Amino acid sequence: MYPARIEHYERPQSVAEALAALGRFEPGDAIFLAGGMSAMQAMKSRMLQPRCVIDLQDVAELQGVTREHGALRLGAMTRYAAIAADAAIPSAYQALRDAAAHVGDRQVRNRGTIGGSVSWNYVASCMPATVLGLRGAMLLAAADGSTRRVVADDFFLGPLETARRDDEILLAVEFPAPPAHCGSAYAKWGLIKDALPVVGICVMVGLDDDDKCVSARIALSGLADGCQRASAGEASLLDSEGDEQAIAVAMDAIAESVETQSDQSADADYRRQLIRSVGREVAARAFARARGQ
Amino acid sequence: MKTISVTVNGSVFEEDVPERLLLVDFLRDRLALTGTHVGCTHEGVCGACTVHLDGEAVKSCMMLAVQADGHAVTTVEGLARDDRLSALQEAFARHHGLQCGYCTPGILMNMTDFLTGNPDPSEDEIRHGLIGNLCRCTGYVHIVRAVKDAARVLRENTGGAR
Amino acid sequence: MSSVEKQAGDWLGARLTRKEDLRLVTGQGRYLADLVLPGMLHALFVRSEYAHARIKSIDASEALALPGVVAVYTGADIKDSVKPMPQSVVLPNLPARYPTFWPLATDKVKFHGEPVALIVARDKYVAEDAAELVYVDYEELPVILDPERALAADSPLVHEEDGSNEIFAMTLTGGETPEGQAENAAEVEKIFQAADVVVSERFRVHRTGITPMEPRGVLCDWNDADGLTAWITTQRPHIDRLALIDILDIPGEQVRVIAPRDQGGGFGVKAPFYRENIMIAYAARALKRPVRWVESRYESLMNVGQERDQINDLEIAASKDGKLLAVRNHGLADNGVGTTGVYWGFVMPFLGAVELPNAYTWERGDVRLRVATTNKASLTPSRAFGHFPTRFALERAIDMVAHRIGMEPAELRRRNLVPSLPYTSVTNEYYDSGDFLRVWDNLLERADLPAFRAEQAAARKQGRHLGIGFACGVELSGVASELLVPMENQPGYGAATVRLDPRGKVMVFGGDAPGGQGHETTTAQVVASLFGIDPKDVVVTTGDTGTTPFGAGSIGARAGSYFVSAVANACQELQDKITRILAHDLQIEASRQHFEFKDGEVVYLGDSSKRKTFRDIVERIIMHPINMPEGEVGGLEWTAFFEAAKPMICFNADCCIVEVDVDSGNFEIRRWVTSEDVGTLINPNIVDGQMHGAIVQGLSNAMFEEFVYDEQGQQLSADFEHYKLATAADVPDIEITYAPTPCPHTPLGTRGIGEGRPSSVPGALTNAVCDALAPFGVELTELPLRPDRVWRALQAARGERR
Repeated sequence: MYPARIEHYERPQSVAEALAALGRFEPGDAIFLAGGMSAMQAMKSRMLQPRCVIDLQDVAELQGVTREHGALRLGAMTRYAAIAADAAIPSAYQALRDAAAHVGDRQVRNRGTIGGSVSWNYVASCMPATVLGLRGAMLLAAADGSTRRVVADDFFLGPLETARRDDEILLAVEFPAPPAHCGSAYAKWGLIKDALPVVGICVMVGLDDDDKCVSARIALSGLADGCQRASAGEASLLDSEGDEQAIAVAMDAIAESVETQSDQSADADYRRQLIRSVGREVAARAFARARGQ
Repeated sequence: MKTISVTVNGSVFEEDVPERLLLVDFLRDRLALTGTHVGCTHEGVCGACTVHLDGEAVKSCMMLAVQADGHAVTTVEGLARDDRLSALQEAFARHHGLQCGYCTPGILMNMTDFLTGNPDPSEDEIRHGLIGNLCRCTGYVHIVRAVKDAARVLRENTGGAR
Repeated sequence: MSSVEKQAGDWLGARLTRKEDLRLVTGQGRYLADLVLPGMLHALFVRSEYAHARIKSIDASEALALPGVVAVYTGADIKDSVKPMPQSVVLPNLPARYPTFWPLATDKVKFHGEPVALIVARDKYVAEDAAELVYVDYEELPVILDPERALAADSPLVHEEDGSNEIFAMTLTGGETPEGQAENAAEVEKIFQAADVVVSERFRVHRTGITPMEPRGVLCDWNDADGLTAWITTQRPHIDRLALIDILDIPGEQVRVIAPRDQGGGFGVKAPFYRENIMIAYAARALKRPVRWVESRYESLMNVGQERDQINDLEIAASKDGKLLAVRNHGLADNGVGTTGVYWGFVMPFLGAVELPNAYTWERGDVRLRVATTNKASLTPSRAFGHFPTRFALERAIDMVAHRIGMEPAELRRRNLVPSLPYTSVTNEYYDSGDFLRVWDNLLERADLPAFRAEQAAARKQGRHLGIGFACGVELSGVASELLVPMENQPGYGAATVRLDPRGKVMVFGGDAPGGQGHETTTAQVVASLFGIDPKDVVVTTGDTGTTPFGAGSIGARAGSYFVSAVANACQELQDKITRILAHDLQIEASRQHFEFKDGEVVYLGDSSKRKTFRDIVERIIMHPINMPEGEVGGLEWTAFFEAAKPMICFNADCCIVEVDVDSGNFEIRRWVTSEDVGTLINPNIVDGQMHGAIVQGLSNAMFEEFVYDEQGQQLSADFEHYKLATAADVPDIEITYAPTPCPHTPLGTRGIGEGRPSSVPGALTNAVCDALAPFGVELTELPLRPDRVWRALQAARGERR
């Protein structure tokens, strides 16, 4: 219920200070605190017992949403509430808003950040799958001043595991400039409204001038192996026009190909059914957005 | 120990606190502002501890007190001004929007923030806005009515302070 | 704060703004966790990690050495100085195998979460650090989790000394003797053999209950002169006091229990006498320091609020023209460990079996119950005490009968409702008064069934599946001693002290301990109405055994039935005295019926110029008791009691309309409308609120909440991320309507309401879903009712039809 003793609390003013603070501790002894919506749970249940908490709230470099030549960059400390309210996010990346608007509740969205969520990479969370589905990339910085960009496919390694090294900090989540006629959507199912996803699906499609699907990415959340691409469905959508039949076939292909688990939220069969029913709705919405509807 | 300075309900408090002290315990145990309640363990789901941090609704059990250093916190004790209840507080009483009252402070704080950004909410929007606050007594029916009516009063009083 | 205008000069029936609210909306409520005493220490229980294991040793030396830790107690430390449970005050007069236990586990642990040690520290964070340093060496034992297997002869035992896991068994029909019961069973069998239609199903309701938002807590203060003062989150402080006296062997005059005025809900969960109370009192006495324990949500979900959890093998015999003939039910309840004072787990399913027949006229019934002990937390009371599962089973089965004979379920119910009261059910439950048909017809009118059927037919043509479901419930309005003495070894009467103040104010003292039901307001309205004064001038104190008359507690809808009736009785005694003295002063021959108490005055009806203000006559009697009538002395305070000769009831009916997505199994409640007989309404706002809350609790139990144990008996649902309560976005608006009949057995015609109210909810809901799925022939018999279950049933139905 209460965190174990914390020896140090640091509030760096810059990325350099944050990394320097991190460097003063053995790996694992210090943690970055973004919005804290997952980290505080872990500290209160004493699953995490850090010696030092490095609070990132004052690091200006981690804040803010920027757009350049159609590319979108969300500072790691961008909060869900800000993403959900950002009307300037293009239709290609509307899935971000779909997801952010239904993470937890208002109070959680007022604190929780995209950077915190993707760095934590919990299986039942919305942001990792959404970032994966939208071809996102993580911009990481290390203490020596170097930075590197890791695409989502390489970043999310498995439940609670990412490619971020112990000496790195996540600066931003970036999305490339989308081609024309591109749309995305995200939705999830939970027993109660806006709960952690039992199954969540992100679909992103690109269309040619004749509304034929030329690119498709689908990512899932809520599965035991962590967020993952659903390539069977992606292939199935290509060349289709996103009609009801084509979408249903794609979702069936996913439901039949992915491994689903049974737990107290849903059994493996029902998870497959959720992929079908949630997936159809999400894909239809992504196509509609791609068509500019 | 860390010395923090937090403005709570308009007054500045400078206190030495252990790094691990939760903001909710800082408010309740140090400042004796016991209107902010605790209803869950580590999960941060019930919302009874909701306060405003720089005007926004947040769960004070999901923050360390040291994180609030340099910020302004408002608790339910700070909602009424000059012994005048806020429109939302009035509406909760008028519509019997509370029974045991345990979840009420958190709901008042969340909905005060909610109405600031959404002065004319639909019933669906109110219900969606309330997801972060569990209530066991009321079935939410009177809470929704109270929020709706408070929004009406606030709209009619536009130009008024609250 | 605005106050609603009083209606027609009478406070009864006024939608008055609650007296409680000003402090509660401003953060000035005082709940248990807000109470602090100088030098107060913080207590934390170390709890079992296993469902069933022998304690080989406990090493608390590291914990004790931690700076800030004051004491660590284990079962071995306290066994010789604390009497074991059961003690008579918390022991029902029902034949059962009552387990013996101490507040901390002594030889073995019997459920995941059982208290093993108590840490007392100067700081609550340090207490949690210390808990990580208490090392318990366990030897795991085979776990008993399935109630059917628990009753097998070769099952391992939860309580070895009992020789059986069957804690309780009873046949509730056919009288007391086995011969009579067998004869009755044979008669019932004859009806079944001859019946046109027999529905026979196994109905299951999962483990769930009503978790209040405020967890439990205890603050104990000890000094050698006065003894123990214990603040406890409790619905029955007077019972807790007696239990502490008996178990800790403290002289009675040295124990005072106070339920804080503000409690964050109870719903039955705060009605038992809990073992934690004993340990906190023990520690305060041993350390001579105030000690406080505030339960975490994790502990709460591990230990309390778990109810329902029954299998009911239910059969109905009916005629093809829609007459319900006989009901037969063999119930089996999963008791959990049973180490909970007053209820022991099985008292709830016992009452659930009693209440099974509901509002229908059965020719005969054969109702039996077995209750099995398992390695889970004890069942603890939760609103709709014991009969949430039995009512679900019966109301579902009635719809199945209707489907079999091709009759509208609402019509089948209507034809079989008890037509006139009083009535005694086949399980010997007495229904005192009311008009079931009036309530039912009011519901049907509001629901507009023909219009719905037309809409449903049109929707089906478009591939949309709407459904309507009905259910009703006879509920206890308070619990008469006739039932409470056998069931809980406690009296049922209501008690209240009404004290008038020389300035014309009124103070009321009651021994019950509410948790949000609005006693202060309701009581003030009753007093104000009887004395013709403003409710503002009435102050109500509850829950303090030092100042209030004995009360059985805020349980079983006792406020509107027993408590306010005791208040009314006390007020009437005082009215008698006031009018006797006033008649004397006015030199007239008159008694109470010749006077009216109105608008702050007491007026002689024979000559309205003969009057006195309420304040003046009260002040005269209290402060100036001279020139009194012969034999009369001064002072105005009265303690009155109320007991109904027979149990009393209230009645309600639900109608639910749903839309089901037959692709995913998702369903949405589109409308919920009710009809209620609550007797005379005191404050409709409060009654509406009680109904809203109860119905949503029923929905949340039916659809979302579930206590889950894995095969090792580990509880997997001990936080709000896993134990899911309905949020505002998950439940519908609710339309409450009234068809009240004043209760002839209470002074004001009021009925106690709200306690049993969730019980008809799961039946109405599930009936609606099954009605929507009638084209598929789906009949659901298990809760929770979730999309996956609906989807699976649809899959099965489609499979069968192929």
